[in-house]
Amino acid sequence: MDISYLGVALGLVLLLYPFLIFAHLKIKLSRQLFISISRMILQLSLVGIWLEFLFNQKLWWLTLLWMLVMILTAIFTIKGRLRFQRKILLPVITTALFTSGIIVMPWVLIMIVKPQPLYDPMYVIPIYGMILGNSMNSCALVLERFESGLADNWQAYFTRISLGANLWEGVLPPFRKALHSALLPQLLNTASMGLVSLPGMMTGQILGGASPLVAIKYQMMIMFAIFSAATITDYVAIRLYIVKRFDKYYLPKGER
Amino acid sequence: MKNLLQIDIKRLHYGDKTLARDIKLEVGHKERILIVGATGTGKSSLLNTLNLMNQSYEGQILFEGRPLTEYHPHELRARISMVMQETFLGVGTVQEILDEPLAYCAQRNVDLSDRKELIYRLLENFKLSPDYLGQKSSQLSGGEKQRIGLIRTLLLRPDILLLDEISSALDQKTSGIISDSIFGHYPGTVIAISHDPLWHERWNRTWRLEGGKLIDNGGVK
Repeated sequence: MDISYLGVALGLVLLLYPFLIFAHLKIKLSRQLFISISRMILQLSLVGIWLEFLFNQKLWWLTLLWMLVMILTAIFTIKGRLRFQRKILLPVITTALFTSGIIVMPWVLIMIVKPQPLYDPMYVIPIYGMILGNSMNSCALVLERFESGLADNWQAYFTRISLGANLWEGVLPPFRKALHSALLPQLLNTASMGLVSLPGMMTGQILGGASPLVAIKYQMMIMFAIFSAATITDYVAIRLYIVKRFDKYYLPKGER
Repeated sequence: MKNLLQIDIKRLHYGDKTLARDIKLEVGHKERILIVGATGTGKSSLLNTLNLMNQSYEGQILFEGRPLTEYHPHELRARISMVMQETFLGVGTVQEILDEPLAYCAQRNVDLSDRKELIYRLLENFKLSPDYLGQKSSQLSGGEKQRIGLIRTLLLRPDILLLDEISSALDQKTSGIISDSIFGHYPGTVIAISHDPLWHERWNRTWRLEGGKLIDNGGVK
């Protein structure tokens, strides 16, 4: 069942409540709310039109090109979010996101979803979007946690290397902690799935008319893929970050 | 025989700032060397160059005739070992803390047959009873932590011990115990920075950093 444009516009009425609450409490968020909502409407409208076009064309190179745009956007989103070691982040994030995509996407497409043709953008783009979006968030989180884990306790790091640890052994404790704190929220979220909330993709499919039984199969597949891709991304990102962050004497380059 | 360490530093710097020039020194076995000088003259920088913890210098340092930079850093740091002002012990029991380096690269393939005996001997030297092995690090006092940290480093059996102000936060009694056990029992070379008067009379050689130069008294008291 489609909703009318008038229906969407009526949805905007709901935003009156946050505006009124912000005004009442004098919280300076109204401007940001306006900007965010406007951007969202504009971006989604454009993407809607663009995807409609993309899905109808079914061109392999156009699909690939769009995936490239997606990954570039993800890379610069992470880079913009992180406020440390900016010079070395670009190759780290790029390699990490490409690696996880190259490992996970072919498996999903060839072995599980099997769209005809394989590059059918109607399947490839939404699935990749979900995988990439989660990998992006996880990657930003793990890098941030790793760097702050080092910064909070350089003394512990220097003690380890003073006691004969090599670089890998020296960074392993903050590495473990960072990966743990980047992945745990996802795992907890996964564990409550279906009972607390229906995940977005599944909700979308059900609202769009698919049977819940089909929707859960897609949702499970996407959860496996998301978690796998996020873990691969995080692991590759930190491994590379270590190589760039330290010199051959295991000393940190640049600021501490 | 003065062939343990040969230092030839043309320029020691911190960022763009030159700390000292033309430092030429030889260090032998069993020497007890004290580095003195005002704050900011480069004492710590110099000490840190000796186990690859500081690369801000021009020149060359040889350990047993081989440039430091040719060693694996972990291998070198287990032989020229540093103990810092505030020792970081981590969590766990004293036994676990002492065993931490066993998990590291430099300690693999090391003969551990007399390790237990060595631990007991070191505890005794540092006036700690064997009961400490079961204690949690969080229950230790500052002085006890510093001693456990030293024992952990001494268990690596380093050839050279680098000490950076290790007694500055300690009371006289603990400082005395530490200096007694290092000077009385440690068989290797010690190079240290210390402001502790208790320690000063026990060195057989001083290096004074002053006005961008290092003055070596050559081992004469």
